[in-house]
Order: sequence, then structure tokens, then C-alpha cells
Amino acid sequence: MSLLKYTIRRLLMTIPIIFGVIFLTFMLSRLMPGNPFLQPGIFVKGNPEYIRALLEQYGLNDPLIVQFLKYLGNMLRGEWGVSLAIAPQVDVWELIMVKFPVTLELGIYTTVISSLIGIRTGVYSAVHRNKPGDALIRTVAIFGVAIPVFWLGILLQYLLSIKLSLFPTIGIATPGYPDPPVTITSFRLIDCLLTGQFGLFIDTAWHYILPVFCLSFIQIAGITRFARSSMLEVLELDYIRSARAKGCKERDVINKHALKNALIPTITIIGFRFGSVLSGAIMTETTFNLKGFGMLFVDAINNRDYFVINALTFMITFVFIIAVVLVDVLYAVIDPRIRY
Amino acid sequence: MVEQKLIKKQDELSLIYGETYRPGSFREQLKEILTPKYLLYILSPGAEDEEIERRDFEMNKFKSKRSFIRRLKAPLTIVGIIIVFMVSTWAVFGHWISFYSYRDLAVVLHPTTFQPPSFEHPFGTGDAGRDVWGRLIWGARASLTLGLTSITISVVGGVILGTIAAYKGGWIENLIMRMCDVVSSIPGLVLTIIVVSVMGYEVTNILLAWGLLGITGYTYLMRSAAISQRAMTYVESAKVSGASEWRVMFRHILPNSIAPIIVSVSFDIGGMILGLAGLSFLGFGAENMIEWGADVADNKSRLVNAPWAAIWPGIGIIITVLGFMLLGDGLRDALDPRTKV
Repeated sequence: MSLLKYTIRRLLMTIPIIFGVIFLTFMLSRLMPGNPFLQPGIFVKGNPEYIRALLEQYGLNDPLIVQFLKYLGNMLRGEWGVSLAIAPQVDVWELIMVKFPVTLELGIYTTVISSLIGIRTGVYSAVHRNKPGDALIRTVAIFGVAIPVFWLGILLQYLLSIKLSLFPTIGIATPGYPDPPVTITSFRLIDCLLTGQFGLFIDTAWHYILPVFCLSFIQIAGITRFARSSMLEVLELDYIRSARAKGCKERDVINKHALKNALIPTITIIGFRFGSVLSGAIMTETTFNLKGFGMLFVDAINNRDYFVINALTFMITFVFIIAVVLVDVLYAVIDPRIRY
Repeated sequence: MVEQKLIKKQDELSLIYGETYRPGSFREQLKEILTPKYLLYILSPGAEDEEIERRDFEMNKFKSKRSFIRRLKAPLTIVGIIIVFMVSTWAVFGHWISFYSYRDLAVVLHPTTFQPPSFEHPFGTGDAGRDVWGRLIWGARASLTLGLTSITISVVGGVILGTIAAYKGGWIENLIMRMCDVVSSIPGLVLTIIVVSVMGYEVTNILLAWGLLGITGYTYLMRSAAISQRAMTYVESAKVSGASEWRVMFRHILPNSIAPIIVSVSFDIGGMILGLAGLSFLGFGAENMIEWGADVADNKSRLVNAPWAAIWPGIGIIITVLGFMLLGDGLRDALDPRTKV
């Protein structure tokens, strides 16, 4: 019960931050030079009066603070505005619900895979310190931290898709395959499974392997390095020695005594890295031409599509904040010393 | 004969040690050390002797310096230092090493687009017929300039804000930290793209945006390091002796809590360069700037028949980032031997 209370309190604490984020991104997006109907450097047909009339129609000529309050009110009522430039008159929510789940899917799979693998390799590397296995893991890990995710994607595209034709180069599905008929969760893979379309599931999974591998490789490297260093710190503590002295099996010492304590800082890092996973997902999407958050966002920025920019930043921040809160709650579950 | 040799050896050793070298037996050496004064100094806790203390201090300083350098001499750290030197050389002497001028590589359009590696173009040519090798060398300039400048802005801003937040407390701390919360809860790349779009796609704006947004991380780090110093007695004594608030903050607290920042800076330069490359990969880089990330983006559509043009610039990024990260790891090991990454 108290865990539920803690979760709710932790969620309430994020509300001011979310308001701050909405305010910041709203103001910044309105401060961009140009407007949805007139971008700098692009020749637009139409006379200035027409553009002024359009701006008037969407209330974009009001003082910024009035615009912000209106926007906030609409947002709380669930009206996120319409796209003005990239897909005129389409509701922003519809645009996002098509594109955003792709990014989220990439991010979630990556985080799950990389936490599972990264922690194990980190522990292995710490336990076998200064042995060949450790040296190999450390070398791969430092390269993994230094490689730009978009370049890794291009390299794999070249080697595995173009040279060996093992994987599809770009896209989310083979052309000609239909979309999943019913969208239940909006996550493509899960929808395919739920509706029983296994052929489509395998095809989509085939397309997801390379992007998820690229993102995971970099995340695994980061998590391995962190897990290794916190594991090494824990392994030198007194209670490990006493556990060994009382005759615990080495496996139990590692998995029960050491790992649990080393896990606490590692999980925090995994939560904070979710932001960089999302940033990486944006770049990976561009490499693999997946129509997700990244391409929509770049389009919206280039076209000054105000409501789309605001909604997208809000969504990605919201997801990130939820991830951090989740980690905090998980932290309290794992570590009984934390009072909530 | 033997005596002469011994004397010669003695002279050599004196040359090295700077004074007359007397080998002496172990007992003689012991006698020199074990004076009553020294025994008193090491055995009784309260004893003081200016001369011995000074010598002790010098010795310890020398020892710690030596062990710092020894710890820095790990092979991987040396590789890191060499890489950083190499990339810096590319950045400074790009026009000599590559035999190309900026005009050749970024302005002029050549007819030789996407040619395979040859004697004339060792790494082939890319988009607009520009030499890949030349752009690889010249790209170091943009990456290092952007990376180093923006990290300087971040560190200076973060250290100042973090110290103020930790020392002042109250509403000032709350204001600073809540602002950091807001900024750091938007994924870095997304916020940077927005800020750069507001300010315009120019080199100065890009490095300002990165630098300003990087401040939050260092503010958190500095605050957590400085907050434990606030209650220390030396801070109190500085206050009592009449030091102004700013003096206490920046002459007393800051030097005592800056260690974790120094440790993390070199590593973070690598991350900064990666982020900047990502920004230009997405098309938000400065126009006409020779940048590795932008090169990858420009040439990736021709991956099938001209892979060299997209692969090589990425190797430039990896080498640079790897150099800074290895150096950062080495520095961390040397400065803070307890944590091992």
C-alpha cells in the first residue's frame, strides 16, 4: 500500500516539471524564425495578406502568453491542435499515434534487451577481472560507447543487407504486406501477435532486427561499463568477504550478495539512459528509413509546424519522465532500505 | 684498477643525484635516518618539527605525483593521448596534411563524383566529387572546435550554478535545480534541435546551444559534490575571518569539490562530439562546414555503389571519440583509484 502511495507521490512531483517542459517548448517553438505558412529561405506562393489571414485564423497573432494559456486549456481538454504545414488540417493526435509507437517500440525493446545482456556481461567482466574475457568485453564496450549509432546502422546495412542480403535494408515491412488490421496497442509487433498474423509478425521482426541491434549494442556497452564498475566496488566490501568466509558458494556470493547491491545504481543509470535511447532511436530511424518520431519531428521543425512540435516534445518528455519514475519505484522495490 | 672503476661509477652517480654519492652500508644509512628527532616525530602523535614535516610533505607530494604519472602510464591511456594528439594535429594542420584547401573541399564542385579509391584519391571521392580523405582530415577541425568550446561553456556554467545552488540553498537552490529538472527531462537531441532552430544554423549558435544545455549535468554533479562541503569547519572559519560570500564559494568550496568534474570532463568531450555528429547527421549542422556526421548523411544514399564515402567519415568520429574516452578512463583511474571503469 505504501508503495502505491509512494508511486502516486512520485507521479505528482513530476507535474510541475511537465508544465515547465510544455511552457519551454511552446515558447521556443514560437520563437523560431518564420511560421508554418512561410519558412525562411523557401519561396512560397501566396501574398502576405493571405498569410496574415491564415495566422489570424489560427490565433497565431495573439500575444504569446495568451496563446500559451489557450493552448494549455485546449491540451487539458484533449484538443492538441491540428497540423498546419506537413499534413494540413489533420489532428495532431492522429499523426502522433501513427508515428510515435514505432520509436517507443524501438526504445522499449532496446532497453529490455540491453539491460538483460548488459548487466550479465558487466558482472562477468567484473568477476573475471583482468582475464582475457574481461579484456575482450572491455574493448568491445569502449568501442560501443564511441561508435555513433547512425554510422553503425549504415555499416550493418552495407555488410549484412547489401553484401550478404541477410536482412532488409530499409523500411518497416516488405512492400505489399498489409498493416495489421486492428490496432490494439499501436505497437506493430504486439498487434501482429494479438491478431494472430504470424507471417506479418515474422516479417516485421525481420525488419526490426538491425535497428534494435544497433541501438542495443550501444546501450549494452554503456550498461556493461557501469555494471562492471559498480560490481567491482561492491566486490571489495566487507560483507562479501564474510559471505565467502561463512562458506557460501561463489555463485551465490556473486548472484545474491554482490549483484543485488550492484544492481541499484545500475538500474538508476538504465532509467536515465532511456532519454539517450530515444535520441538514438531518432537517428536509427533516419538511417533505416522507419517512419517514426524522428522523421516527423525533423519535418515539423523544418516546416515550423507548431502544434506538432509541441505535441511531439511533450510526448517524448512524458515517456522519459514516466521511465524515470518507474525506475524510482523499482529502486524502492529492490532496495528495502529505501523508505517510502 | 678496481678502485678507479669504483670512483668513476661514484662520479656518474653523483652527476645523476646532484650531490656527492656515498654508498655506505645499510647500518650507516639507518644511523642517518634514525635520529632521536625523527623517532620522536614518527612515534609520538603530537610531536612537531618544522624541518622534518617540510621534508615529509615534499616527499609525499613527490610520491603522489609520481604515482599519478605511473597510473597514467597505462597502455590504453597512452593510446588515448596519442589519438588526441593526432586528431588535434589534423585539426590544426589540416591544409598541410591533406594537400587540400577548404575551397577545394567545401565550395568547388568537381566532376569526379563517387569515384572508387585510387592513387589520386586514396579513400575515393564523395558527394560533389570531394576527396573523402581530405574531408576526413578537415572534419577534425569542426568536431574539436565544437566539442571543446561547448564543453567549456557547460563546465564553467555548471560549476558556477552548482556552487551557488549548494552554498545558498533556499529558494535560489530550488529555482536553479527545478530549471535543471525541466531542461534535463527533455531528451538532449530533441531540445538541441529546437534551440538550434530558434537561433539559426550557424557554428556559434550550435556550440552555444550544446554548451548551454550541457550545463544541467554539471550543475547536478557540482551541487552534489559541494553540498557536503557547506557544513565543513573550514567554510565556517573562512566566514568568521570575514571572507565575502563569493570568496567562500569560489575560493574555498569550489576547489574542494571540483574533483569529480575534472574526472568526467575528458570522457564527456567524447560524448559531446558524438552528439554534435548526430545533430549534423539529422541535417541541423552549419552550412558549408566540413563535418563527419553531415558527410555520412550526404553519402548514405549511395551506399550500394560508393560505400567508402559514407564509411570513412564515421571512422573519423570513432577515432576521435575513442581517444577522448580512453584518455578520460585513464584520468579517472589515475585521479580516483577506487573507481575502476
